[in-house]
Amino acid sequence: MTKIELVLTNAAGLHARPAAQFVQKASAYTSKVTLAAGTKTADAKSILAIMGLGLGQGSKIELTADGPDEAACLDGLKALVESNFGEG
Amino acid sequence: MEQVLQGIGVVSGIGIATIQVLASDLTGELKKYTAGTASAEAGKFTEALQVAGAELLKLKAAALTTGQQHQADIMDAHYTMINDPGLAANIQTKIEQGIAAPQAVLAAAEEFAALFDSLDDSYMRERAADVRDIGRRLARLLLGADQTQYGSKPVVLCAQEIEPSQAAGMPADTVQGIILGLGSTTSHTIIIAKARSIPAVTGLGEAINYIASGTVVIVDGYSGKVILNPTDANLAEYRKRAEAEALHKQQDTQMAALPAVTQSGTKVQLAANIGSPADMEIASKQGAEGVGLFRSEFLFLGREIPPNEEEQFAAYKAVAEQCGQALCVIRTMDIGGDKPLRYLNINKEENPFLGWRAIRISLERPELFLAQLKAILRAGAYGKVAIMLPMIISAVEIAAARQFVEQAKNELIHEGKAFDANMPLGIMIETPAAAVTAWELAAVCDFFSIGTNDLVQYTLAVDRGNPAVSPLYSHFHPAVLRLIDGVVKAGHAHGIWVGMCGEMAGDPLAAPLLTAMGFDELSMSAPAIPRVKEVIRRFDDEQMQQVLKKVLSLKDAAEIRALMAAFVQ
Repeated sequence: MTKIELVLTNAAGLHARPAAQFVQKASAYTSKVTLAAGTKTADAKSILAIMGLGLGQGSKIELTADGPDEAACLDGLKALVESNFGEG
Repeated sequence: MEQVLQGIGVVSGIGIATIQVLASDLTGELKKYTAGTASAEAGKFTEALQVAGAELLKLKAAALTTGQQHQADIMDAHYTMINDPGLAANIQTKIEQGIAAPQAVLAAAEEFAALFDSLDDSYMRERAADVRDIGRRLARLLLGADQTQYGSKPVVLCAQEIEPSQAAGMPADTVQGIILGLGSTTSHTIIIAKARSIPAVTGLGEAINYIASGTVVIVDGYSGKVILNPTDANLAEYRKRAEAEALHKQQDTQMAALPAVTQSGTKVQLAANIGSPADMEIASKQGAEGVGLFRSEFLFLGREIPPNEEEQFAAYKAVAEQCGQALCVIRTMDIGGDKPLRYLNINKEENPFLGWRAIRISLERPELFLAQLKAILRAGAYGKVAIMLPMIISAVEIAAARQFVEQAKNELIHEGKAFDANMPLGIMIETPAAAVTAWELAAVCDFFSIGTNDLVQYTLAVDRGNPAVSPLYSHFHPAVLRLIDGVVKAGHAHGIWVGMCGEMAGDPLAAPLLTAMGFDELSMSAPAIPRVKEVIRRFDDEQMQQVLKKVLSLKDAAEIRALMAAFVQ
């Protein structure tokens, strides 16, 4: 099991489009991925659960991956978040 | 018996046909549905998921090919939602508990929607509608009510609301009208209806639920009236109106094929003002020769973050391609404090129309401006495209903008992306400052386009939205006419073309004056083109020169307007 902490710096936070990108990325790996923010947690492969957290710009998130490709999975998600989801 | 309902007419026109009720309310189908065993229901659900996923990918691809990036993003988000493991698990649990698949789907979607509804964020609350939409999409598939079957018979669609996913599949030739219970005038469905000129009335409320399929109906998109089971007299009267309308449309179409030339053979290019790629269909129908004003604002409004280069590129490219050999003039972002956008961070202003807006923002927000310029330059590789700067008051601004254009080009070269290196850069003449100094400005740009709406407002110091002073607003005011005349002369003296893209360009009464002044191009909303063209074709150059001379000697806007009305009629 691997864990990382990230801050959402993109303007929209995990709203519809970035949330969709995030979930599509997470779903590309076989590891189970959980996103925790504050006291709430959500399955990182569920867009509805992610959007239900209502995470805006500046939110701190903790990602936990568990599975054979857990390291690659967290690297991939980290890169996506740090690229600000390609917002221009 | 005849029954008249009053709603809001949102797309003008007359539609007469029989009602087809769309199953946005699935209660009837749900009652008729016979559920199988839990495992049979689970199987049906899995199948519905696959079909819905494929549909959404198709809709996304269709949106992308027409340059509707925003719509494509929504379909992509719906696709991801439909494949949500949390949603599937929730539905499967319900099915195992013995709930029929369609009910399970609707209930699960409602649970998630309620969660979004409860969030303290208006954007997220709107997403509740997305979840309900995918719930109904799945339910319709399960109930076999998925595909609205359109026969060859003309119909008027009737529903509380039509979901974006359903609206996309409406055939334009059979749908004669749309009547909706909800009151939105800006919904996706209404936008599609406008683009296809389908008469539409909204805001009919609860009454919509009592209308049965097969009822004969008249939709009057002008007055907002919906007449069910009309009397023979009403039917005859509306048929006559519909025929007159069809004849009018036919004449417009015939006019569309003819060039805008005067009796003396002088040609004026008539182009269209558009607000999004979707407007191109009607523009080409009306015979527009290119686009004289592509307002790029639609890409920026109603969202949390600015559009990126790729998204803008897709929209601009779509229009550039549809213009073919004709020019497509793209105006850079023209937004100010009257439409505050979170990402622009405009402070509250006493007077947004004299405030930080348009080019003033672009020059101070290079990241926004460069992304837009790069997207426009790249679209130039797919057609004839020009950049137009709004709200210019001095040559300094043009020079500053030019530097950004050069920087954008350098970045594109560096990134190895194709673009038009010789793209013309023109300006809007919409401030008295620009009109008065047109001589100097013409030396440093490639074309002028006069934006009369702002030019009139700023020149006469009249807010046309204020009923106390709006009668003073007129593009026939001598001050306005003299400014315009001077701008054309200044432009032509420097060998650049001069166009107009304000409302005056679409006024048939102004057409002879503008033609006589020597405008190279007039750009207007597409439906105005046939009438303006008809007027231009009617006179010879000498007649129009005479009336211009007369008009420039008059002192009063009302007098000038009356003279033009007599001349044209």
